[in-house]
Order: sequence, then C-alpha cells, then structure tokens
Amino acid sequence: MSDRMRIILLLAPAMLVIVVLFFGGLAVGLMRSFNYMPVIGLTQPNLDAYVAVFTSREFYYSFLLTFHISFTSTLISCVLAIGAALLLRRSFLGKSVLNFLFQLNLTVPHLVGAIGILYLFSQSGSFARLGYQWGLIAKPADFPALVFDPYAIGIILQYVWKEIPFIGVIVLANMQSIGTDYESVARSLGASRWQSFRHVLLPLIFPGVLSASVMVFAFTFGAYEIPAILGQNYPAALPVLAYRKYTDVDLAARPEAMAMAIVIAILSALLIWVYIRTSRRSIRG
Amino acid sequence: MTHVSIKSLTKTYPGAPKPALDRLSLEIPSGDLTALLGPSGCGKTTTMKMIAGLLDPTSGDVTFDGRSILRDKPEKRGVVMVFQNHLLFPYMTVADNVGFGLKMRKVAKPEIDARVAEMLALVQLPDLGRRRPSELSGGQQQRVALARALIVRPNVLLLDEPLSNLDAHLRFEMRDLIRALQRDMGITTIFVTHDQEEAVVLADRVALILDGSLCQYAPADVFYKRPADEAVARFFGGHNFIPGNSTAGTFHSTLPPLRLPDDARTGSGKLTFRPESVRIGAAPENTLTTRVIDRIYLGTQTRLRLSSGDNVIEAVLSPDLVEGLQPGADIEINLPRQSLWVLE
Amino acid sequence: MHRDPLALRSFRVLTGAILIVWLVLPLVPLAIWSFARGWRFPDLLPREWSLKAWTYALSDTSGVLGSLGLTIFISVGATALSILVGVPAGRALGLYKFRGKQVVELMILAPVIVPGIAVALGIHSVFISLGLTNTVAGVMLVHLVPTLPYMVLVMAGIFANYDPAFEQQARSLGASPLQTLWHVTLPAILPGIIVGGLFAFLVSWSQYILTLLIGGGRVVTLPLLLFNFASSGRNDITGAIGMIYILPGILILLLTAKHLSGQNGAVGGFGKP
Repeated sequence: MSDRMRIILLLAPAMLVIVVLFFGGLAVGLMRSFNYMPVIGLTQPNLDAYVAVFTSREFYYSFLLTFHISFTSTLISCVLAIGAALLLRRSFLGKSVLNFLFQLNLTVPHLVGAIGILYLFSQSGSFARLGYQWGLIAKPADFPALVFDPYAIGIILQYVWKEIPFIGVIVLANMQSIGTDYESVARSLGASRWQSFRHVLLPLIFPGVLSASVMVFAFTFGAYEIPAILGQNYPAALPVLAYRKYTDVDLAARPEAMAMAIVIAILSALLIWVYIRTSRRSIRG
Repeated sequence: MTHVSIKSLTKTYPGAPKPALDRLSLEIPSGDLTALLGPSGCGKTTTMKMIAGLLDPTSGDVTFDGRSILRDKPEKRGVVMVFQNHLLFPYMTVADNVGFGLKMRKVAKPEIDARVAEMLALVQLPDLGRRRPSELSGGQQQRVALARALIVRPNVLLLDEPLSNLDAHLRFEMRDLIRALQRDMGITTIFVTHDQEEAVVLADRVALILDGSLCQYAPADVFYKRPADEAVARFFGGHNFIPGNSTAGTFHSTLPPLRLPDDARTGSGKLTFRPESVRIGAAPENTLTTRVIDRIYLGTQTRLRLSSGDNVIEAVLSPDLVEGLQPGADIEINLPRQSLWVLE
Repeated sequence: MHRDPLALRSFRVLTGAILIVWLVLPLVPLAIWSFARGWRFPDLLPREWSLKAWTYALSDTSGVLGSLGLTIFISVGATALSILVGVPAGRALGLYKFRGKQVVELMILAPVIVPGIAVALGIHSVFISLGLTNTVAGVMLVHLVPTLPYMVLVMAGIFANYDPAFEQQARSLGASPLQTLWHVTLPAILPGIIVGGLFAFLVSWSQYILTLLIGGGRVVTLPLLLFNFASSGRNDITGAIGMIYILPGILILLLTAKHLSGQNGAVGGFGKP
C-alpha cells in the first residue's frame, strides 16, 4: 500500500466525522440562515433573517454584552493566570495544594462553577450573608447585584474562576519548557527582575498566552449554560438569545437563530485567522 | 581589570548527600583566562552560576579586587555569563540582542546603535544586525552571544563550554577571537569545560575539579608533565602507573632502576609517564626490554601495549616506527628522564 | 536564582493563599447546601443539617442515578468512538508529512475554537431528518464534535515521537499485522490513548448545550438535571447532584495524579477552556 493511500485511509474516519457533523452542521446552518432549504421547499435564498437580526436592537445589545463578557474575562484571566504561573514556578508554602487545585478545577464543569458563583454572589448568597453579619447591609436587596446584573459580573467571575487554571497551566508548561536560563542571561546582562520579565519572559510566553486566550475568548463567546444561569434576561448573551430564537414556538424565528449562530462562527473563524497570522509572525522570529 | 578570588566556596543542594562543590579556593589574576575543567556534574557550572549571582553559595566567599560581591544582585556585579547554547532571544534581531544590556541600562538609542555596530564589526559579523538568531549558523550565534556579553564591558566574563558546539576549524577561529578580544579588553575570564583539549587550547591556567573539589590549578602543560596525583594524570589520558620507591634520583620497582628528574619527589610512590613520551630503541639511560602484547592502529598513531615483567606499559608512537612489529616480539624502549614523574 | 527578599517571599505565600481560597470557594456553598435543611438568609451556616437531599438524590424515584448511568454511558460511548476514529487520524498526522496536512489539521482542530452552538443548530436540522434527534445515539454522535479534536491532538503528539520501525522489526520477526498491532503498536501508544481518552471523557461529561439541543430535553444527562434543579431553586438537591457530577473528574485526577502531575499534567491540562 502506498503512503498516500495509507494516509487517506487513516484520516478518512476522522475527516468523515468532522466534515459531516461539524462542517455539515455549519453548512446547513448557513443555508437555513438564508432561508434556503430545498428539502422543505425553500428554494429562494434571501437575507430576511440577517435583515431581521441586524435591525434588531436586542441583537446589538446581546452582541456587545457577549463581547464585553469575553473580552473582560479573557483579559482578567490572562493577567491573573500569568501571575499564578509565575507563582507556581517558584517553591513556596502551599504550592502543592495550589497545584492540585489547579488540576482539580480543570475537571469541574462550568455549570457547577456557575451554580457555585450564584450561591456565593447572589443577593441572598454567602457574601450577602457575610455583609449582613458585619452590619454592612440590612436586607438582601441592599447587596449589590453581582449576578443577573447588566455588567455580567457574575458571568465574568465564573469564567475567571475556571480560566485562571486553564491559561495558568498552559503558561506554566510554557515557562517550564523555556527554563530560567534566558532570564539568567538577561539578569547577567544587567536587566532588573522586572526588566527580565518584561523584555524576556513575556515575549517568550506570548505565543502560548495568545493561543490560550483565543480558545478562552471563543469559548466564552459561544457558551450557553453559564450566561443562562448567571445572566439577566434582557439583553441576554448571544448564545442564549440564539437558543431562545431556535426553540421559539414561532418556527419563522429559526433562520434568525441560525444567522446568530453564523455570526458566532464567523467571529471564531476571525479569531483563528488572527491567531494563525500572529503565531506565524512570532515563529518567524 | 579585576582580580577574582574564590574562598572556600561550597554549595550543597537541598537534600543532596554531599556538596556539589566542596570548599573551592582559587586566585584568578586580573586579566587572566582560566578554565574550570572537570567531567559533567563536577560542580563547575555551579561555581560559575554562583559567581554570576544566579545561585547562592552555602558557604564561602567570592571577592572582586578584595570586595565581596555575594550580596550584590546579579545585574550589579559586572559579571556576564555566556551560556553554552547561546540563548539568543529568538524574537529579537541580532542587533537588538547585542544591544540588550545597554537598553537595560537605559542608554540612549543612537549610542546603542553605534556601539552595536562597532561590536558586530569586532566579532566579524558587521552585516548581520537585521537578521534573526534562527537565521545564523552555530558559530555566528556564538559570536553574537559573545558580542552581547562584551558590549556591557563586564569586569568578569564567564563562558560555558565556549568551543564545544563548534566543529574543528571553527574552534580555532573562535579560540583566536576569544583570546584576542579578551586580551584587548583586559577582561578577567573564566570558562568551564569538560573537554581537556578545549581547556588546554584556550586557557592560560586550568583548574581541574573532580567530584566537587579542586585537584590542581596550573598552566596547561603542567597537567601532562607534572600531574598532582593519579586521578589528574588519568583525567589527562595517563595510563602508566608503576608502584615503587624513589631514592637519590632513582626509581626502584619491578622494572630496572630508572633515573628521575631532579625535582621528583622521594619516598614510596607511583612512577608515571605519558604514553607518547616512550621512545623506541636503546639510550644511555632508562632503557628497558619489553615484549609486545598487542598493537592498535589508530590512523595517525599506533598504540602499543608492552610487558616488562608483571608491568604493562602503554606507548603511543608514530605508525611507521613500529610497522611490522608483531605481538610476541621483543623490543627495546627508553624513557627520557625529564618525562618521568613520581606521584604520591 | 539569587535569594529572594523576604517581602517577595511573603507576597508569594499571601497571593498563593488567596488563590487557593478563590479556587475552592465556589464549591463550598454547593457542598454545604447538599447537607442543609433550609438555609435562610442571613445564616452563615444552616441551622439544621440533614441527609435529605442525598437520600433523595440516591433514591430510585429521583432519577438521578438513572441519569448518572446515562451520562456515563454517553461519555464512555463518545470516548470509545473518538478513540476508534482519532487514533488512526493521530497516526496520519503524527507520522507523515503530506500535501494539505495543515488544512487537515486546521479542519480537525476547528471545533476546539468554534463554539458548539454555532454548529449545533445546523446539526439539529440534519439529525431531524435522520431521526437522530431526541435519541441517546444522536447525543453520543454529536459529542464526537468536541471530543475528537482532543483525541487526535494527543495521539498526533504520541505518534510524532513513535518509531514505526518497531512494527517493521516485528513483522520481519514473523508477527502478523494483527499481532504487531496488539503486541507492538498498542503498548507503545497506550499512555496516549489513556490520556486522550480521559480528556475526551471529561469534555463529553461537561457538555450541556449539545445534549440539550440534540437530545431535545428527552436525553436527560446529569448537567441537564443539575440545570433544572438549579433554576427551580432546589438548592439542597442541586448541591447533592453537583457533588455527584464533579466526582468522576476528581476520581480521574486522583487516579492519574502520578502521570499528570507537574509538567506532564500541564501539557494539556484537560484541554478545555
């Protein structure tokens, strides 16, 4: 058997799954978003769904909210994760506990984290109770709205909780494979502790941080159950809105849901593109 | 110009049964080029990192011109270390790499540019400033690493295996470059290596470290002619060790009596001589009759194993001198007096 | 490194402690709720403790155990499928260089980045016509989309460090292709299959929206049950189910702690954001 044949046979099952399920799903979604579905007699593609989506105020609110959630969570998680990785690189009291918790946290589903955040930060949650015990608030409604709130603080807190270990573990692995020699060189050439972090370690871990950030941004942009548990009703995060439209009793809303799904897909494709470009450049040096 | 003095420097890693470096003391004269030689794991890189401030010693002291530097931060010591694998920052251009130390010192950009150009010319890479390190050959990377270190005008330069990643012809080129730059700038330089050839070729003086402690510190040729003990002699490729007694300039053993040089020690000890100092044929003194055990052809040399009584003598000779010599044949050899040495 | 100043070392211990508290914190109220009999504002701890939530969750009537079984069945099935499909693909990507390899890699990795909901709506439309919606088989199949990339990724890494000459050696010593696969290839790649399989299992285990859409609410896995109880305000039962739901992950972590500790664990870190 030729290598060519062998490669085709080896790849065939996986490509079949990906092409049929993933790209098939995307393609059907795209077709339906154009109201094009010959099987059920829709043979005239049109842009009605996109017009409906892009003229709706709710969509823009949702989009902005979702972008805010993703951007803020990714940024905060990145900064804290780099700090945590720097910490875990050194030995200190409690390091093994922290290491274990990082791993543990990675196995906990987001949904559980979301419920945990709800019980901690809701107006009758643990922190509100603490506030009452310390005489800071008199009744639950006095506690600031941190879940179901317009700024999506609860959602962001949940993502930060889950993504610090995720990014941290990637960055830590990155740091460990880089070693400390580059920083030693910098120090011996006269760089201060901060300078050797800023000019040497940070550029070296940048590709790893970038790839982790892209994954986190895309995930938070498309996740459903976290904003569904912790988010307010209006505006809802984009995936929640899309799901609502899709399951609307009015079947005519389905193409709109598909159009939103396509918007999410395009945004993630854009992220992939940015990522590939940037990582190519940094590989070139 | 900086006189480096290492005093009882000791490093024990946590949990390790014995020190990685045990009470090393060395005086390195200002402007000297010294090699720390030893097998891997002997503590030489540990020593260098302690001088550079990248590692804290367990005890002992390092002084520059009499002043202890152990409390100084690494970036304040005026010591630059060049790592074996160059460690050029991959995301910077060659010029940015060379200028790194000046940028950290907040030197103005035009001055950095001028000094980088000057430095690159000095290491004979004037046109490569805009390249990335990955586009350079190993030898060029080594020069850039050297330029990056020298541009900050360190008091002390530390080199980790500076010649070992280079092939044979580049080695001599790099050796000459390092020696020339080091002499011109008068920088006290210490390098570590596991390769005795590298040490001998490059260094003014060699410190041999075995098992964490200093065995001998001397100019390179002394290690061949006057090794301090059997371990040193063996490290430098010595094979001949014959127990006996040295009295009144003569060595008595199961071999016939042999005349010794004047500075040889007296009392019981081991006679040693280099395999390559064995001569074929009879001479007025120190002539032995031996039998050939075997003969190994090594290309440019031939190695003979000879027996004399119970003793086995190794000799390395030019192939044409011993052509046709078969195992079992008897042969006369002589050992020149100055090539003999008695170990404790 | 030069010995760090005391201030820096204490700063490390302090931030480490804050991180540790923060990482555990959200799980604490869940655990407490599962043992609470009513826990009203503003009590910091429940006045009365009870095993009621656990008794309910573990009873036959609640359906939690059935749902647990179903979730395990789906995740194990999806994992087995991704091993079957992913190992050959990993071999192709790890061992060979070929034209279009980057495109293939990008296609296989795309589902890691593109969120499930973006494709799930389309898949749902297709599955309706195939009769796969609202079925366990359909859910298992759709779980392949997020799990397969991780399997392929891990196996490609394993095969990149694998020397196929061992197989040729075995063949030349008289082993049949099947014997070679069993005695030579499998033992060599088994660690990868285990790690990749555990990733795949955990990724499938935490799926919510794909299960909800394709299962149409009929295939009630643990996360769906958990979501329902959480949004209906049954905090005690939510706590108990939540604890049951995170148990397999913890077990896997403890079992693999040796293999995954330190640098190895950091490599993929259960891969999912």
